[in-house]
Amino acid sequence: MSGKSKAFTKEEELLLQDFSRNVSTKSSALFYGNAFIVSAIPIWLFWRIHLIDLYSSLISFVLVTIASTYLVALAYKNTKFVLKHKIAVKREDAVTREMNRKLAEDKKMSKKEKDERILWKKNEVADYEATTFSIFYNNAIFLALVILLSFYILRTFSPAANYTISIGTASGLLALLSTGTPLS
Amino acid sequence: MKYSAVLLGLAAILAIGRCEDEVNEAAHLLVSKQILNRYLVETMDIVVKYTVHNVGNSAALEVEITDNSFHPDNFAHISGELNARIDRVPPGTNVSHTVVVRPRKYGYFNFTAAEVLYRRTEDAPRMQVAVSSEPGEGLVVAFRDYDKKFSSHVIDWAAFAVMTLPSLAIPFALWYSSKSKYEKLSKSTKKH
Amino acid sequence: MNRLIVLCIIAVTTSLALAETCQKPEVSASAYVTEDATVLTNIAFTTQFTLKCSNGAKGVSLYAEVEGKTLPAVRLSADNKYQVSWTEDIKKARSGDYNVNLYDEEGYSALRKAIRNGEDPSSVKPLAVVVLNNPGAYLGPWINSELLAAFLAAFVTYTAFSAKWKLLS
Repeated sequence: MSGKSKAFTKEEELLLQDFSRNVSTKSSALFYGNAFIVSAIPIWLFWRIHLIDLYSSLISFVLVTIASTYLVALAYKNTKFVLKHKIAVKREDAVTREMNRKLAEDKKMSKKEKDERILWKKNEVADYEATTFSIFYNNAIFLALVILLSFYILRTFSPAANYTISIGTASGLLALLSTGTPLS
Repeated sequence: MKYSAVLLGLAAILAIGRCEDEVNEAAHLLVSKQILNRYLVETMDIVVKYTVHNVGNSAALEVEITDNSFHPDNFAHISGELNARIDRVPPGTNVSHTVVVRPRKYGYFNFTAAEVLYRRTEDAPRMQVAVSSEPGEGLVVAFRDYDKKFSSHVIDWAAFAVMTLPSLAIPFALWYSSKSKYEKLSKSTKKH
Repeated sequence: MNRLIVLCIIAVTTSLALAETCQKPEVSASAYVTEDATVLTNIAFTTQFTLKCSNGAKGVSLYAEVEGKTLPAVRLSADNKYQVSWTEDIKKARSGDYNVNLYDEEGYSALRKAIRNGEDPSSVKPLAVVVLNNPGAYLGPWINSELLAAFLAAFVTYTAFSAKWKLLS
């Protein structure tokens, strides 16, 4: 990691890492909210198309949705963490330029303060892009996996088994992919 | 598939009228009863076709087909009557009669034979009794199961698309707008 | 086929003496053509109709001609009620209107004669005409929505992967 992000100073590096590891409560809520929505939506498919019995599967809906929400949120976090550094490097020039243009008129501001503002902005942009992309990316893979598993691979299974296995596998695989593969 | 027990364009196995007195010049009818369905489904059309073949050497007269096997409690009669008369069936020809019914219930149903009465010659003293072929037992599938297998669920999928769209489109749009904003900036930086 | 025609002609002429002719025929018909062909092997065309004659003729033998094929009208339990029905292979059955031309024995023999002599069969005026409409059989959805959904999902996932690849490169 340090080899590729040599554009950062040690200080910057620490700051960026700090920001990405400890996900703020706001973005944590965003992750869990999104993960919950995406985990719950497939119930519609199982109800309408696989004709699962709603009442008898209520408990499994709750349990599977909770587990899946946790795993999908984990995948969001991991993907975001991996992407944030890359995005920060990519956006560095543009953000610096944007901030310099903005802060050029403010003559009172010290050089150090300007640098801090730029660093903060860099972090913000990288965080924003990594977060939104991570949500899009994981949602897309999760939904594609659910469709593939439930309609093709597990289509002969009973709806209840199909539901538990396909959502479980999709979210589990998603979490695993986000951590397991060396991405850089 | 589960419902392979369903009758597939049943080859006509024909029941032959009892020939008690052999007459040289007489009609001889073979009657087939066919179910022209791939699947038997609750509340969906079943096409029943009766075909009367005259293999004798004289015209069959006052041919009457009666099928009591489709009880109104079990089947809705959609079109065609289950009692039909044909004035005459010339030798070497066949005449068909088609009825459409819809099963009200699902489950196994035994399709039994229809009865046929006819006069073998013009001056025959009594009616000849014959029975048609029997399509046999078939499984009437519940509409729910049929729908699951064969419905396209277009509306359900459309609703699913509407539900998933925000969770894909919103983060993508936010990411993309930020990305293109800064990519533009960095391009203009390089130009200078 | 020739033998068949001859036999029919004989049949018609022999029973001619018994038949009463129908004056000013009036036909009231109901028809049903199967539409959902996903469960069927053949499309059934059925029509039932009542024949009313101003002279009160009863028990008239009727014949029908549809698309160049002739078939006898079957008598139903009620007086002067008839049924004409036939089946057609799903692939061969065209959609649209089917004219069922009804003839009594006299008209039927004239029709047979016209066909045999290579004359225009429409020159023989039918007793009445019943129109059956086949709106076209429903053969199931033209696209499998599951497959479409899978393709769309695959496309979105591909976009996601390629975008990530670009970000990481």
